[in-house]
Amino acid sequence: VLLFFSSVIFAVELHGYIQWNNLCPNYGALASAKVLLDAGKMSGRVTQNGNFSILDVPPGTYVLSVLSHDYSFDHVRIDVSSSEPLPEVRPYIFGTPLLATTSFSLPYPIVLTPRHKNRYFSPRESFNLLGMFQSPMMMIMALTGVLMLAMPYIIKQLDPETLDGLKGRQEKAASLENSIQSDDPRRLSALLSSGEETKASTPVVKSNTGPSTLQQRKGGKGNKRR
Amino acid sequence: MRCLRQLFLVSLGVTAWALHESDVGVVDWNTELIGVPLHGSPHTAPTFHGDYVLTATSNNVLAALNATDGSIVWRSIYDAEDPIMAFSHHDKSVSSLSGPGGSTLRTSLVLYSHIIADPSTMYVVGFAKSFASYTLHVTTLSVTTGKIIASVNIPANIKDERSKFVAVSSQTGPTTTACVNWLEGDVLKAAVLAPDLKGQIMALPGVKYDRISDFGLSTNGQFLAIKEGGAAHVMHFDAQASSLRPIWEFSLNRDGQPRVARVYWSNSHSKAIHQSLAIHLSEGKASASGFAFPFQTLDHGVIRHVAFDGSSTSETHENTRTLLTTTTGSIQLWQHDKMQWVREEALASIQVAEFVELPEKKVVMSHAAVDEEGYFERLQRQLSDAKNLPQYLANFARRFATGSYATATTSAAFSSDEDTLTRDAFGFRQIIVAATSYGKIFGIDSSNGRVLWSRVLGLGWAAKVGGTIIPTKIFVTRTVSDPEGPQIVLVTQRRADNSLVDTVLFHVNALTGDDVREEYQSIPRAALEGLDAVMGPLVDVFMLPNENRTIVMLDEYLQARLYPDTPLALAEFESFVPSIHLALRAEVPGQRQILGHQLALNLELSQFYVAYPTWTLSLPPEEEIRAIIPNTRGPVASIGKVLGNRMTLYKYLNPHLTLVLTSFLPSSTCGIYVLDVIKGSVIYHVSVPAAGGVCDTQATLTENWLVYHYFDDEFSGTGQSKGYRVVSVEFYEGDGPDDKTKSSELSSYSNKTLHISAYEQSFIMPHGITAISPTSTKFGVSTKDIIVANRKNSIQSIPRRLLNPRRPKHKPTSEEQEEMLVQYDAVLPDDARLVLSHNYEVANVRRIVTSPSLLESTSLVFVYGLDLFFTRIAPSGTFDVLSENFNKVQLVLTVAGLGIAIMVTKPMVRRKRLRERWYQ
Repeated sequence: VLLFFSSVIFAVELHGYIQWNNLCPNYGALASAKVLLDAGKMSGRVTQNGNFSILDVPPGTYVLSVLSHDYSFDHVRIDVSSSEPLPEVRPYIFGTPLLATTSFSLPYPIVLTPRHKNRYFSPRESFNLLGMFQSPMMMIMALTGVLMLAMPYIIKQLDPETLDGLKGRQEKAASLENSIQSDDPRRLSALLSSGEETKASTPVVKSNTGPSTLQQRKGGKGNKRR
Repeated sequence: MRCLRQLFLVSLGVTAWALHESDVGVVDWNTELIGVPLHGSPHTAPTFHGDYVLTATSNNVLAALNATDGSIVWRSIYDAEDPIMAFSHHDKSVSSLSGPGGSTLRTSLVLYSHIIADPSTMYVVGFAKSFASYTLHVTTLSVTTGKIIASVNIPANIKDERSKFVAVSSQTGPTTTACVNWLEGDVLKAAVLAPDLKGQIMALPGVKYDRISDFGLSTNGQFLAIKEGGAAHVMHFDAQASSLRPIWEFSLNRDGQPRVARVYWSNSHSKAIHQSLAIHLSEGKASASGFAFPFQTLDHGVIRHVAFDGSSTSETHENTRTLLTTTTGSIQLWQHDKMQWVREEALASIQVAEFVELPEKKVVMSHAAVDEEGYFERLQRQLSDAKNLPQYLANFARRFATGSYATATTSAAFSSDEDTLTRDAFGFRQIIVAATSYGKIFGIDSSNGRVLWSRVLGLGWAAKVGGTIIPTKIFVTRTVSDPEGPQIVLVTQRRADNSLVDTVLFHVNALTGDDVREEYQSIPRAALEGLDAVMGPLVDVFMLPNENRTIVMLDEYLQARLYPDTPLALAEFESFVPSIHLALRAEVPGQRQILGHQLALNLELSQFYVAYPTWTLSLPPEEEIRAIIPNTRGPVASIGKVLGNRMTLYKYLNPHLTLVLTSFLPSSTCGIYVLDVIKGSVIYHVSVPAAGGVCDTQATLTENWLVYHYFDDEFSGTGQSKGYRVVSVEFYEGDGPDDKTKSSELSSYSNKTLHISAYEQSFIMPHGITAISPTSTKFGVSTKDIIVANRKNSIQSIPRRLLNPRRPKHKPTSEEQEEMLVQYDAVLPDDARLVLSHNYEVANVRRIVTSPSLLESTSLVFVYGLDLFFTRIAPSGTFDVLSENFNKVQLVLTVAGLGIAIMVTKPMVRRKRLRERWYQ
């Protein structure tokens, strides 16, 4: 009877083992794991020494995967054919076509290596004074603060001529800013087109802005006194 | 800017809700269970082994419990197709025999049923079919390698399958000898087993036996042989002499004396009585002794199985340990008359579960008459109120300094001693009411997983004949906002042992487990008495969305029966009748149909409203309906999706959608239908391959979004591959953007209900899933993630962003980026940070229940199967509480720094101004 059956149903036993590595050194780390063919109709458990076997596998092409709670394994393609005594093992990259032609063979018995251990947690962001000052925003803030404090002394150090030049440039920039703010493209273009005219117009701007700021300042002080 | 946005997108795509190691056990809990022991056979029933209790359970788990504290030492979970038949232990190893008869028969035509192990060899014994009768087949395996040493047929001539054979083993020193005994005709025969399976068959002539049986001492070499008249011989197998003799001729070895013990319930004492019989064979006498212990039959039902720790028995019974298995599925270890521990293993077979919100903490108003008090009284009251002020101030200062506020990750459990049932700040603490198939209902605290109350479901009149109660559905009929407090109604089917099926209702206060229908609370509490609502089985049950939350039950004649059955409820029900549409399955042999029904009153037929069919959806013959899953509809926050180009896709929000899963085995496909219940029109239909002839498709439908999962074994086509697929489908109104049909308000008879467009995309997953559910939040504003339980025994969330069926196949354009769409990738990332259950093992999950909390961002997740697991999830991040990244120290430091800067610069500015004034 047995002989009769074995002649009708050709089936092989798949054998393999888990290659322990630094990630997963022994069975204790792996805990309970199962090796599945396809959706799990045929499966085998991983034993204490890392071996597994799946019995009675009929001919066909299968994807072998490992169900392990904490470790990830590569998927492997298994071809069982009635003409060959040993099943063929091929690498299979998850998400690619199964019947890729270029795949080379892997040794049989199947060797499975833990690829990575699942890391479930993300570290909590802790407060770090140094890290706070390393952020670009804080650095810019600190730099401006330092500059603000240091500016009068720097200006004092400079000789009067460069100071004048600097002032002139500052005023030019200020007037440019004003014109952008007042949304007057004509004046802006005029400003940009000829340096001479700008020079001529700057005093006007200065005379316009100077007293007003003074007045404002005075007004402000008056307010304070009241 | 664009670069930055992309960076933002990528970081969001990976994880929106990250779990921190410090949150473990604070926001979640996990209860590992083993299931109720299988006590039907001595090969699977609990046994003591040193300080361990070994058992096989109805959840197909082989487990070892620590007898001292009841904790699980280890457990081994078997596949559903691989039931445990027997197990046997020896020293430090346990061997088990599993698998249905079919699978074993396929290879060797032997139905193994017994297993004996010794340190080096394992004997597996079973029946083998020969031409006229059964013979015994023995296989020996090496324990160390698992290799088969020998496999032989013992020429036994066993007439019928029922007549048992007994495998016994006897230990003499380090070696174990096994022996198989069987009856051939009426002659007892025995064969001693050796690893190489060479030996002789012995026969015990002279005595005629009727049957032989195992009574739990088979590892001691003893079994029972019963003669025709009913007299029994205790047979003993002597390993040294390799002989089988009736025991009275035998003197016991040093192992100890056999004891026979029994436990029974004494009505007169209202206690369980433990009696043991010590047999002193050498002296030829026996002594009986016993004690009573207070077993709580009202809470735990009837004792079903008793296991003794033989080594703990003594004359005084002081250390006698007994392990009880009860009908309600609890495992109890009693030492003398004290219960050491109890495990409620019925929780491994929860049938239905529901979240119930808890009431707010009541502020005690001790001063009702504030208006009438005089000046001194008021002063006194205010002073007495102010006595808490220093404490309050200290608390405030501490809170201000340390920045400890209630966040989304604070524990919801109350540390206070007074165990009042009140909710926490964000409503994370709720009660999970779970009904099990072992006739017990539990109230579980969702903050820590403790059982707050439990009640036994009474059998009613069926108590006389026996029966089981199978929960069908739980309805929350009253919530905290109602004056009565939260109440639930459990609808069950009672299957009496005389094959009568009734529908029984249990109406329970969800906070205490008290019976609501009962006028006065009896103390001590008896079993819950149900209301026999319908004589006969139930076809469908649903709750009306009215004030009273009336429960409508359809009996087998499709009559609508109400609970509560009051004139008010009937009047309300009548106003709802025109809008009730039901999809019921019709199980006509050979023809599967889904029939749409409406209700009408025809007094000639019945005094009740009767459902009549309105439409029929005929499935192909042999297409079986696996499940009808209604749309899980929470509140809908937006009816459309604004695209990047300022057009709007309007969601197809037909409130009458229902999901139907079918299996069609002739063509080995599984069907997924989305139906409109009113007209019976098929909105969406797909058939997917049934891998290996099994349909284990999982699907969920929420709002306008359908997600289903199946195994695709089609690989021969180009670019195809075997693997698990997740398909995400979304239904929108009309032909495309800006086409609005107002589907949520549309009359169902309008032609426009079928005017929809569906977007779908398929993704691949590395592992299969056993349950799927969307998250649910209070207002539906947060995105809905999909929570799945995968076969790796973990619970995982799949972000909605990844399952969006409109993910572009190309690099996202700026418009698509504005919609936060990420490029399509067929592989769903197997990111461990999306695993909600992290290190916990949550095995054999059957269902995932989600419930909103008071925080819009956070959804509560309860998972049951073999294990229980609870956690919180915030699919869109916790946007409504202060972010956990919020750095209070940084804020305080910055403000303080600015203050210091002002203090430093203020005198400088003043001096400068003064100087300006002088020199101007």
